[in-house]
Amino acid sequence: MSEASIPSKWTSEAVPDALFGGKDAPLFGRRQRRARGPRLPVIAVTGFLGSGKTTLIRALLAKPEGANTAVVVNKYGEVGIDNALLRSSSDVTVLLGNGCLCCNLRTDLQETLRTLFADRARGAVPSFERVVIETSGLADPGPVLQTFATDRGLGREFHLQALISVVDAVNGERNIARMPEAKKQAALADRIVVTKSDIADPAATRRLIEQLGALNPAPVELVIGGEIEPSFLLAEPSSPARRFELGGPDHTHGLCSFALIFEEPLSWAGFEQTMALLTSLRGPDVLRVKGLLAIRECRGPVVVHFVQHVAHPPVELEDWPDRDRRSRLVFITRSLPREAVARLFDSITAVVACSAPDALARRE
Amino acid sequence: MADTAIWNFRQLAHHELDGFGGIGEGMSIQIAKDGRRILWLAHESAPKNFTAVDVSDPRAPKIVARADLPQSHMRSNSLETVGDIMAVAYQTKEQGLQPAGFELFDISVPENPRSITFFDCSGPHSRGVHQLWFADGEYIHMSSSAPDFTPTHPRDDQFYRIIDVKNPSHPVEVGRWWLPGTRQGDSEPPPARHPEGADTGFRPHNTNVYPERPDRAYLGYIDGGMIILDISDKSRPKMVSRWDYHPPYHGFTHTVVPFFDRNLLIVSDECVRTEGADWPKLVWVVDGRTETNPVPIATCPLPPLDNYMKPGARYGAHNLYENLPKPNAWKSDRVVLATYFNGGLRAYDTSNPYQPAEIGYFVPAAPERAPSGAIQINDVFVDERQVVYTVDRHVGGLYTLEMDF
Repeated sequence: MSEASIPSKWTSEAVPDALFGGKDAPLFGRRQRRARGPRLPVIAVTGFLGSGKTTLIRALLAKPEGANTAVVVNKYGEVGIDNALLRSSSDVTVLLGNGCLCCNLRTDLQETLRTLFADRARGAVPSFERVVIETSGLADPGPVLQTFATDRGLGREFHLQALISVVDAVNGERNIARMPEAKKQAALADRIVVTKSDIADPAATRRLIEQLGALNPAPVELVIGGEIEPSFLLAEPSSPARRFELGGPDHTHGLCSFALIFEEPLSWAGFEQTMALLTSLRGPDVLRVKGLLAIRECRGPVVVHFVQHVAHPPVELEDWPDRDRRSRLVFITRSLPREAVARLFDSITAVVACSAPDALARRE
Repeated sequence: MADTAIWNFRQLAHHELDGFGGIGEGMSIQIAKDGRRILWLAHESAPKNFTAVDVSDPRAPKIVARADLPQSHMRSNSLETVGDIMAVAYQTKEQGLQPAGFELFDISVPENPRSITFFDCSGPHSRGVHQLWFADGEYIHMSSSAPDFTPTHPRDDQFYRIIDVKNPSHPVEVGRWWLPGTRQGDSEPPPARHPEGADTGFRPHNTNVYPERPDRAYLGYIDGGMIILDISDKSRPKMVSRWDYHPPYHGFTHTVVPFFDRNLLIVSDECVRTEGADWPKLVWVVDGRTETNPVPIATCPLPPLDNYMKPGARYGAHNLYENLPKPNAWKSDRVVLATYFNGGLRAYDTSNPYQPAEIGYFVPAAPERAPSGAIQINDVFVDERQVVYTVDRHVGGLYTLEMDF
């Protein structure tokens, strides 16, 4: 049995390429120019109550770069909503009813996005180019991240391009210290927007940025009045997980972020089994893993993305974003240190390495 | 749909071709001696014959040459170039008219195409050539009538002919094939007609031959379905297989594009009626692993009929990008690009051939003078730079695009 033919938990949805793959049968379907492939990008904006999510989104929609955006708003326990304000500046706005996106409204989100996609295809709504989801302040972003991996209908049409966390400089430090949701929102984000630094104590803002750096290696941008370079919110990550300069270990909160770099190409089977083992033993603590991998069986680099026990379908890119061809993985975990994960990878890599054909032959 | 609907394409330019923007099914790239990239376009109907557009900069296409047809009762719907030679198909409105056949041009100076020869196909039952395939510089494979061919039914007047053009001054027919029963004198009975109004003839439309299988011709045989011919002996083509799915479908199989390495055949219908009268006209994915028994396994998904149904306009499949076996043509055995008239240009990923996935579309706004008030995207070509060229059937002219999927 070749490595590539090992039954794969995460490739089974890909393609029956055994029948129609041809000589150049990519492991994960057609190679893509970018991680989102042809899918519609989704930008999820999360952040604690009053942190400035709506202001940020409104400012984005007012700019030419924000045109052709569909906005899905999910607020919890608020009446009246800022929805009317959003509607005036965006092509399509959908308001999800009261409730929290992370739990009871997740199905509503799926339904809403499916309907939006179908309406767009039949011309009932303008041909929007992206979706911005404003989540309720209390939402745990984990389930939103998972929605685009697990729901086959959505995963095919939509790609979660960025999870933006909005943290306000006045209350952020305290919220992150006291509220697990706020901390998770910051830890899981792809990009972090710090608001209200104009009315916050500069020392507090500095401490907040340090705190964020310890939680998450994501880029941080200071924003006043929602005024932000649109690309910070909208840009496709040209190279996933390229930043490795992490802050110091975050001892007090139990959340860690760290990177693993592999000099040699990995076998897909080895990588997959390592992640399977890791997530089956510690799934709830593997909050998010993003990576760009050199896979032995693939010509191009492979984008991988895990949220707890859920894996987004891997995407093989046509090309590397730069000359660095090493595999790299960024982990956000809870009480799972780098050392333990690195050892697991080393062990399984060693096991795979000695299953070379001549080794098998000797055994027989 | 008033506005342009675009997804995962980027529009580079639009050229209405100075008021003559009705383009047929001939789109071919020539790299001129001075390095310019010339796109030759066949017109849908008289008065224009062909137009040459310099697309070296696809953001700024420029017309460099244009020719009129000698008669208004004819059209030159199809053309191909190989090097500096261009073949143009001539079809007359009625049988028995002239000129019916094809003309070869020397286009070494794109501004001044010079006729090399005219190959006459006219005859009492002939409308001449509807479509031709010219890729290797040696043979033209075409859907044509002939002076000596009397069909059993007037709508079956064209058939498959192979013409040797190695000496462009003296083209010579080397082989032909027709569906048994369609020529008077055949021992087989004529095929059962499709219902009146949907009877579009048992005759070939596209006749594709690729270097991967020089011994095969892939024919969209209109009401006869898809036909694969063995042309290892060009003087005696033999049928390998035929996939005929009409009725219940409404006929007019148009193009067959094999994805050789993946044992798949992509087959398009042509929508020929307005208001959805022949809905659905589809792009089919066919399992070609057993050549003698092609099996349809999927169709490319389409928005529902009422999205794009407009009085006087067609909405349904038509041309495919054909992976032309030429150096200046893009090749893909995973992406299907298909034109759907009012449904625009649509792109599909066939990585999972059982579930083709739509990955992009371009439905331009209706051109100002569109007779039906709708866009009617007719054909598509992609060059090796991955620039996409697509054309409107009536007035819209040429659109240049980049793929962004």
